[in-house]
Amino acid sequence: MIKGLWFLRGLRKGIVTEKFPEVKPGEVALWSTALKGDGNPQCPVEAIVDGKWIFDRCIFCRKCLPSYAPNGNFNIFKVRKKEPSFNKSFHLFPFDSGACGACNAELHNIASPQYDMTRFGIFFTNTPRHADAIVIMGVWTQGMKKALDLALDAMPGPKLVIALGACAATGGIMGKGALAEEKYDVVIGGCPPNPYTILSALEKARGD
Amino acid sequence: MHWYRNDEPQGRFIGSTANMDIYAETYTNASARQKESTYRKADQEFIFSYGPASGMLESSEIDLFTPGEIINHVDVGTDVRKRILRLARSNPVDALMKIERINGFHGASHAICFISALEDAMDIIPDRKLQYNRIVQIECERIRSNLMVIERMAQAAGFGVPVNQLAFLREKMSRIIGRRGGHRYFFGVNSINNSCFNTEVIGKQTGSVAEDFNDIFRGLSESKLFINRLQDNGINRDSLSIGPAARASGMMHDARMDSGTLPYEDTSYAIVTNDEKDAYGRFMVRAEEIEVSSNIIKHLEKRCRDLGKYDYSMKDGEGMARVESPPGDLFCSVKIAGGKLESSGYIPPSIRNIESFRESMKGNIFTDFHFNWESYGIWVAEAGVVLQ
Repeated sequence: MIKGLWFLRGLRKGIVTEKFPEVKPGEVALWSTALKGDGNPQCPVEAIVDGKWIFDRCIFCRKCLPSYAPNGNFNIFKVRKKEPSFNKSFHLFPFDSGACGACNAELHNIASPQYDMTRFGIFFTNTPRHADAIVIMGVWTQGMKKALDLALDAMPGPKLVIALGACAATGGIMGKGALAEEKYDVVIGGCPPNPYTILSALEKARGD
Repeated sequence: MHWYRNDEPQGRFIGSTANMDIYAETYTNASARQKESTYRKADQEFIFSYGPASGMLESSEIDLFTPGEIINHVDVGTDVRKRILRLARSNPVDALMKIERINGFHGASHAICFISALEDAMDIIPDRKLQYNRIVQIECERIRSNLMVIERMAQAAGFGVPVNQLAFLREKMSRIIGRRGGHRYFFGVNSINNSCFNTEVIGKQTGSVAEDFNDIFRGLSESKLFINRLQDNGINRDSLSIGPAARASGMMHDARMDSGTLPYEDTSYAIVTNDEKDAYGRFMVRAEEIEVSSNIIKHLEKRCRDLGKYDYSMKDGEGMARVESPPGDLFCSVKIAGGKLESSGYIPPSIRNIESFRESMKGNIFTDFHFNWESYGIWVAEAGVVLQ
């Protein structure tokens, strides 16, 4: 009987963490991966301009079907600045500026046993004073402006400013981006980004 | 309008839009029902402010009024991250993209409620298979949402093993959803008179999640440490409460039974209730509803296969719909004129749940806060949205 003994219950389940990134993920929801196609189909957020797909504007709404379709590549992010000093431990301060909850949930998911961010030395922190990076989610909102400015000021250097998802980066379809896009060191595309995309971007941001 | 009529109040009160009061069966012009908080800080009290950026799942601004330990009053600010969605004069199809993103974690409920209101306005009666497909989506969403709420409650108790096991199941549900609709939060899956959600053998997969959850549930139910934190915490006496909070207080409030929007009557669905009224009752109702949702999915999966391609033509009119989203009643109304949205109304469940939470928090102590807040499954994202 293992009644009440959570430790043993945990052991009984065995190791469920995947081998990513050494082993490619088996299952990624298609509409969180890069789009490929031709032409200039109608796009509500102008994510296709002159036949070129712009990943940080795309909300993956499928309006460009059949001209464009997802190709399964989940590496849809841009790293402008790398910070190798975060190689051993990387503390993230999640900041919800005006998100719908989907980005929040996906960021939360990288802590789930399938991904287990702690094996990469990635952790969440509840205060910007202990943070190496701020992960901004959602569109700009008046009420969160002061809190965002204070959080950015409170962070010690070196630091990274990360946009998670189309809303934070460019505003998507819901408004305007939480910060001007050039202020981000890392931009992670998706609506919301896939947990594999988030982990890959975080790893790249610290020089891996 | 098929499901609502302008008449004297009939049925329970659901909530208010900018210009209407909505009841289970009817709607009326808005009354002056909503009132501002008149609470004034007593001399011996101080205000403990929590948030807005606090490391919680979402940003929210919570003020706890306390003389030291007992909480006398709570204010929950949702305006801090207010999002204004301009829908007027927009194409209903484009508006749907914004509605899905009001609360992305409950994207299926939001999309299906809004689409059902549009279809009501356009006199479209969706095929039964399509309606069953929509029910399957909402019940998948409910399983994942309830897993999240229970995970967060276990996290408040510092129970690492069940938290991780529940997170594992939640991710498993997200993958099941993503595999079948191409998107883990149902964005782009639903459209007017259509759905691209594949339900083939989904019942076996969600059944396996429900089975694994039962093992964790038994463990949590046997833990006195966990149960003691929930019992008598946040007793909900709000007669207007909705969703699992209402059902945990013995009230048979459930849009699956008293809204005609989706044909739940074909699923032999029975309401789960509990008389505890506290966070423990809400935990029990949410846990039992995972099994109920799994059974509904099993019951319907074969009946919504091979969806056809259903056409429609845009038509002017007014429509209303209400569905039982995971935290409770979700209502949408639309008026279409000249093929564009002329006006729209929206009542998210978290508005009522915040009120119920505020009332239930009085007389509790600081350490109860986290458990009680999580037990309501509140999403500030949906409460802080204004449709224009």
